[in-house]
Amino acid sequence: MKVFDIDENTLSLSLYSEVTNSKELLDSMQAGKLEPEVALLNASLIPDVFPVLAAAHKTLRAKARESLTTRSLHSELVYNYSGSKHISESLKRCGISDNSTYILAAWFDAAPDDIKAIGNIIAGKEIDLEELKGRANTAQIQKHYKISVLELEMGSLADAITCRIAARDAL
Amino acid sequence: MEVEAHGKDTSLVLLKQGAEARVFTSTFIGRKSIVKERFSKKYRHPTLDSKLTLKRLNAEARCMTKARRLGVSTPVLYSVDPILHTLTFEYVEGPAVKEILLEFGGSRVSEERLDDIAAQIGDAIGKLHDGGLIHGDLTTSNMLIRDGTNKLVLIDFGLSFTSALPEDKAVDLYVLERALLSMHSSCGNMIDRVLAAYRKSSKQWCSTLNKLAQVRQRGRKRTMVG
Repeated sequence: MKVFDIDENTLSLSLYSEVTNSKELLDSMQAGKLEPEVALLNASLIPDVFPVLAAAHKTLRAKARESLTTRSLHSELVYNYSGSKHISESLKRCGISDNSTYILAAWFDAAPDDIKAIGNIIAGKEIDLEELKGRANTAQIQKHYKISVLELEMGSLADAITCRIAARDAL
Repeated sequence: MEVEAHGKDTSLVLLKQGAEARVFTSTFIGRKSIVKERFSKKYRHPTLDSKLTLKRLNAEARCMTKARRLGVSTPVLYSVDPILHTLTFEYVEGPAVKEILLEFGGSRVSEERLDDIAAQIGDAIGKLHDGGLIHGDLTTSNMLIRDGTNKLVLIDFGLSFTSALPEDKAVDLYVLERALLSMHSSCGNMIDRVLAAYRKSSKQWCSTLNKLAQVRQRGRKRTMVG
């Protein structure tokens, strides 16, 4: 797990593969009983941490202005990462589903106790964040974010996603 | 557990001040960035002012990302702030085409380098125009050459808009032609090299270049007589 500074806050990221209990995770999250509160993202759509950090920056700014679009800080992160304005679709695609096995956990301002707790909740193998690039599903990312071959020749997948996250509300 | 140390230096350093916006350098989550702030005009009615400012801010973000979708390199957009009226994007390391062209005649810039730059400019504008995007302010200071890759990066989409009219495309090229002629006449015929590349890149080059010939006769503004 790795901690990133975003202005005055932090975002902690842990990557898990071979997760076996995503159905339970999803159920307890939807019931609002996941303790501590954490964002669980579909890691195959994430080729690099930077777009996640950009989405987190946007989330924290909305929080500070009390203008969150979704119900919680952590669901807002998933929604912002999607680069789309369709909330339920965003949570479905960029969040986890019943049979997800590859998950990125992200949480804001984690206390040391939370970190241990997360390790206990998620039944899977924690792997290095460096693995994101190799494990990303390029075809799925291109389809979700509508990234043309032309754009990929000019810049990286992560750049394309970052632009869409930033520009969403300007469209 | 590792902690990524970024230093929390998000201070703004003023880089340039224009009529519509101020440009700062800053840091965005550990990366060097540019912040472009559109400030309010006190002489406008406050409601109108905030509407105009926001509209232009969003238009710029849209055009910058649209250019990327068309395969033209622009700085990566990091954030749009509709309350502070700021855009935050990637800091591109490298000189402006203007600086390179002004150095020509000195020692370090070769003829081949100019050819390469002109070809990249023509190619980029062709892609924008075929995608219906007009840059609106094509000057050599709004074009950067990225260090390392030597790839052209277009900046400042503050005057950009979408249009499929040959007229708008021709005026876009005309603005560049005037800029090249007045600033960089020592570089030989840059515009011809740019237009040759444009012709290869744009499928609609024919109607645009015909229009350009007309625009040259009358200047950038249309005369609305008769």
